[in-house]
Amino acid sequence: MEQMKQEIENRIAIYALISRLMLVEVDEAFLSNIEKDETLLSFLPHYRDWDKRKEFSTAELIEQYYNVDFTNLFLMHLVPYESFYTRDDQMIESGGDNPVVELYNSLDFRVELDTARVVSADHIGVELEFMYMLCTALQKALVADDKEGVCELLEVQRAFLKEHLLEWTPLFLINAKKESRTPLYHDGAELTLEFILSDFEYINEKLTEHCIVDEALAQ
Amino acid sequence: MTKSMNNNEQPTFVESRRSFLKGTAYSVAGVTLAAGVFKTVADTPATANSKFTPTPKTLSFYPPLEEWDSFTELDGKDWKRGGTGRNGVQSEDNPDGIKATEYMLVPTACSNCEASCGLTAWVDLSTYKAGGQLAVRKYMGNPLHAGSRGRNCAKGYAAQSQMYDPDRIPFPLMRAPGSKRGEGKWVRTTWDEAMAKIGKKMHDTLKKGDEISRKSIMYHVGRPNENGFGHRVPHSLGCDGYDSHTNICSAGARQGTIQWTNDDRNSPDWSNAKLIFLQSSHAADAGHYFQQAAGRIAEARKKGAKLVVMDPRLSNSAGMADLWVPCWPGTETALYLYLANRILNEKDVSGNSLVNHEFVKNWVNWDRLMKDREYLAYLVEKKYIKSVPAGETYEEFITMIAEMYSPYTLDFVAKECRIEKRIVEKLYDMFIDAGARVATYIWRAGPIGHKGGWMIARSAFLPFVLRGAMAGDKGGVGLHHWHVISVNGKGDKATQAGERPPKVDVWNEIAWPPEYPLSSYEMSHIMPHLLLDDEWRKKWNSKGLNVPDKLAVWIPRMYNPVWINPDGFRWIEALKREDKIEMSFNLSPTWSETNWYCDFILPVGLAGERHDQHSEATEPKRWLSFRNPALRVALEKMGWKPKDPTRATLEAHIKAGLGEVWEEVEFWANIMTHYVDPDGSLGVRKYWASKEDPTRAVTIPEWYQAAFDKLPNLKKAAKEAYPDSKYPNYEMMRDRGTWLEEDNIFKPQERPIKKVGDTYISHGHEYHERDIEKDEFGVLLATDHNGKKKAIGVEIDGELMQGFHTLTKKLDFYCEWFKEWKWPEYAIPIYPTTKEDRVKMTHVVSQVHHDFMVNDNDFALNTVFRLPYNIHTRSVNSKHLMEISQNHNPVWIYTDDAKRLGIKRGDAIKVTISDTVSGLESGYFIAMAIPTEGTMPGVLACSHHAGRWKLKNAVEIPGFAHKLGIMGLGAPLYEMTMDGKVGTLKPTEGLNEGMQARRDTWQFKEYNKDLDNIWWDGLSGSWQNAVAASHPDPIAGNHAWHQKVSVELADKGDQIGDIYVNYDNNMKVYQAWRDKLTRPLDSTDTLRRPKHIKRPAVPLSDKAYAVKLT
Repeated sequence: MEQMKQEIENRIAIYALISRLMLVEVDEAFLSNIEKDETLLSFLPHYRDWDKRKEFSTAELIEQYYNVDFTNLFLMHLVPYESFYTRDDQMIESGGDNPVVELYNSLDFRVELDTARVVSADHIGVELEFMYMLCTALQKALVADDKEGVCELLEVQRAFLKEHLLEWTPLFLINAKKESRTPLYHDGAELTLEFILSDFEYINEKLTEHCIVDEALAQ
Repeated sequence: MTKSMNNNEQPTFVESRRSFLKGTAYSVAGVTLAAGVFKTVADTPATANSKFTPTPKTLSFYPPLEEWDSFTELDGKDWKRGGTGRNGVQSEDNPDGIKATEYMLVPTACSNCEASCGLTAWVDLSTYKAGGQLAVRKYMGNPLHAGSRGRNCAKGYAAQSQMYDPDRIPFPLMRAPGSKRGEGKWVRTTWDEAMAKIGKKMHDTLKKGDEISRKSIMYHVGRPNENGFGHRVPHSLGCDGYDSHTNICSAGARQGTIQWTNDDRNSPDWSNAKLIFLQSSHAADAGHYFQQAAGRIAEARKKGAKLVVMDPRLSNSAGMADLWVPCWPGTETALYLYLANRILNEKDVSGNSLVNHEFVKNWVNWDRLMKDREYLAYLVEKKYIKSVPAGETYEEFITMIAEMYSPYTLDFVAKECRIEKRIVEKLYDMFIDAGARVATYIWRAGPIGHKGGWMIARSAFLPFVLRGAMAGDKGGVGLHHWHVISVNGKGDKATQAGERPPKVDVWNEIAWPPEYPLSSYEMSHIMPHLLLDDEWRKKWNSKGLNVPDKLAVWIPRMYNPVWINPDGFRWIEALKREDKIEMSFNLSPTWSETNWYCDFILPVGLAGERHDQHSEATEPKRWLSFRNPALRVALEKMGWKPKDPTRATLEAHIKAGLGEVWEEVEFWANIMTHYVDPDGSLGVRKYWASKEDPTRAVTIPEWYQAAFDKLPNLKKAAKEAYPDSKYPNYEMMRDRGTWLEEDNIFKPQERPIKKVGDTYISHGHEYHERDIEKDEFGVLLATDHNGKKKAIGVEIDGELMQGFHTLTKKLDFYCEWFKEWKWPEYAIPIYPTTKEDRVKMTHVVSQVHHDFMVNDNDFALNTVFRLPYNIHTRSVNSKHLMEISQNHNPVWIYTDDAKRLGIKRGDAIKVTISDTVSGLESGYFIAMAIPTEGTMPGVLACSHHAGRWKLKNAVEIPGFAHKLGIMGLGAPLYEMTMDGKVGTLKPTEGLNEGMQARRDTWQFKEYNKDLDNIWWDGLSGSWQNAVAASHPDPIAGNHAWHQKVSVELADKGDQIGDIYVNYDNNMKVYQAWRDKLTRPLDSTDTLRRPKHIKRPAVPLSDKAYAVKLT
């Protein structure tokens, strides 16, 4: 548990980073926050070493490179919504019938779509931020030494990754990596994919260590 | 990612997985990074059981017809709030629930372009029942519509922004007493006052009863979007007084089609074609019948059809085509004849002929050509063929034309059309591969762009005929009148007269001058020139004609000729002359440049505010749309009754707060009955007074009950659906908005002529055997009681069939009547192959042929293409359409041409127009250049559909609290000068300034609360139409739109939007085209025009057709 208390900070930070990156266009504050932290920056190696960062100001990079790439990846050519991948007719389910929305609702979470500027709550950025919210809740449970709560939250996280994020985002992220035109989104897509795979393993590990062993968890 | 980055990638993500969690915590807290889009909520309101489906299962979802009178839908913000699953439906117990609105869906039809796609107007009943204003909240498609199938383009959905335009004309306006036309001083009037003044003028004119009086009222109709009602207006007055806009639109294509088929236009079966062959971006991009055609074309392509687009410009369609054929504008004829040459002279891989002999032998009038030995000798004299064939057989005909078209070789066509040979060859291969399943729609671009443009259409059909693609069969090309319904003017039985008005006895030279006997439609684009040309009038009067020197009443109807016609300053000049046009009024839903110079502006309805029967030949079916005034229908269905049932649409619009907006059907019935001929002494009233109650005008239900009675299937279905109704036809169409009278219409020319006893039945008419004879070519001729002969069918392979609409009942490769009407050298599809011949055969050679491009900066200017989201002048009042069309009309110039002339992207350039017939210069316009590979070298492109202007931002109406804004959403402010010879226009203020000054509009405030979002200045083109002189084609009569221009960088003082016009020269240009190129009527003529090719609007008597010139 103690180790988990240290690790949860980093899980929160990474989920926050990748959800933000996938959800809306970057701004100078966000990039400066990443650049402040050597470790976080090391997760984005091509970005860290990119020559153009010296050549242009951050504002210019945002306007001329990052926003163009973001638009291409998240608004125009790829579809970052779960229902597009999981429904046979490939339509985005934006209404209350969306199973992800139902899940949020059942846990009393509401997505502010106008803030997110997405058409549906099963957007990759929203789902990743949902993991961030669950990690924040887990942190509170850890601080309170609420073992039952910790296990329940770990179980919810495991289920959400297995039934939702891991069901569709790998395909999207591989495509996004291939289609990206800037190191930021290239590395960001790669980081996201690697992290959620590793986090799924991590959660299973912790559940096995600390919670009731369920044979199915190993599957 | 870039390649270099890919090379540096980590091995694979699984192997390289890094440890994210070990080590120290990051210095950045997650909370500073996260976007924070989640809000946790503790309270989840109880969700009521709801019938609503948050998301329809399919995109094509529409409420079922039985729910149209009351359909409740969730608010559009539903999805933002998590659906009813979270919030439930709003009610007294659940105030935070999702709002549900009760609508009545009133079917109608779009009135923006000509396609007449079905619409449903969603009338908000909830707000109305709660005490608010009755309003249309949105326009969606009509799923019952056989042509549009519930789909619309941007222009259809924009009907709402047009309806609630902040500059909507709210009531009838009259030019202020004492002011001059064009001063912009207006007073408010009423419909009754306007009808009284106009009606009196019309009455006094007609009362004279002489020939001139019957030529003095002119109804000038923009795109009609209805079938036949407008024709009935001058017809019932006994006037030859109809001017259409067709001569600036499509008369060239129609001429070529008339010569082959005596039909108005072709009508393809896109869905089943193997090759879609488009000349221009029309059909798939923006024109006839864009949205419906594009859907059918997409279907065909899904099944494997190929798409070829021939266009000097890389249009949207060309961009996605399998083959783009950029052809020098006006030389398309050569390319079509090249296809004919190869079809006639080559064999397929099995060694078989490529000609569909079964079709050509049976259905082409080769037999008449081979019989006309004198004409064959003439063809030898013209060097089209080497010798007259010995015999008259079909085989000799094929051999003869194979020789005739052999000069149209690959080398010739590559040089003449300036196309790469590989493209030409590929085009041929694709054409042949598709067999008889090649669909095309020959309409705009070439045929309306050029002198002799009609020959492009004439020649285009030749390869189609040779391959059997003109048989009207599946996947090929049929004809317009097979696929259209025209009953809007046929409500005669509902009137006191109970019958159609008689034919009109006069011929109006202002509509149909003696220089243009074969003109496809009225010569409306030179109306002001004719009125102001005293010498011309004097000349013809001295030869025995009676040409009017003025118009008593000129009535544009939803038309803006000042802006859209060539030579706009000449129009203004004529409209300002009160001695030439004594009274004018525009039935117009919007402000326009033309309105500015009229005496009255009478606001009439848009798509969901009027009645029309409208049908178009968009596929091999006969469907119709019925346009409904949505607010009136909704009110009536809720129990409202008008005070005067003959004016219900006007009353409903006033009640619903739309303004004093009326419609033509009720307007004309009322003005004719009560003001033009109140006592019936002119013989006009009875055609408009009601049969049920002759003291009043005919009502809408009465009129349409009678009109739709002409359609047997509709009539039967209506009777079944509305057994207890007095007006079942009207009620069914009011409730459904569309009807499919006949489906799957293929090869109707092969329909048999029935013989029952001693009677032949053809096209529903009966002919007694004794009145029928068969000529040597197998044509059945019926003789009527006046001794006139009429072809009613033809014998093909021993069977009697209805045949085509021509005199020969076949397709006229050889157009005999055209030869007789003074144009023998063009009575077959032909095109000159040498420079010398191009001079001799100037009538079929474009005024922008590359022969005329002598200087480095000379170009052909391609003007005739539409922008998909604009519709001529009708879309200027839609904020949505205007927003997406800003800055979309630069001058396209080929990259190397631009480089050569030192022109860069965004530069202002001066485009100077000159005429190649008279050698005169017209003036220039300043526009923005965009160098692009999307237009061919030497050819500029700039659509003539943009560049609106106004001279005032708003007008004050005495006694009315608010100013009336003028085209605030789409036209910048300009300054104009004109002195009778030279006119100029200069932009002075973008529209945002004008709009910002009054963004808190008084009219339709709620709908227009976003006016401060207007970011565009509206300067999206120059008024190039005014610079262009009228180029009347000597045969088809249409304006030949394309221009020879020279280009240079603009001077320092020049501004984009500036124009300078020498309209004195433009008058001389029109005269040169008229006098150098036409073959007018002369003393040998006894008719004004061949009687078998229709005068399209008003039926004329033999007396009117007769002519005797000295």
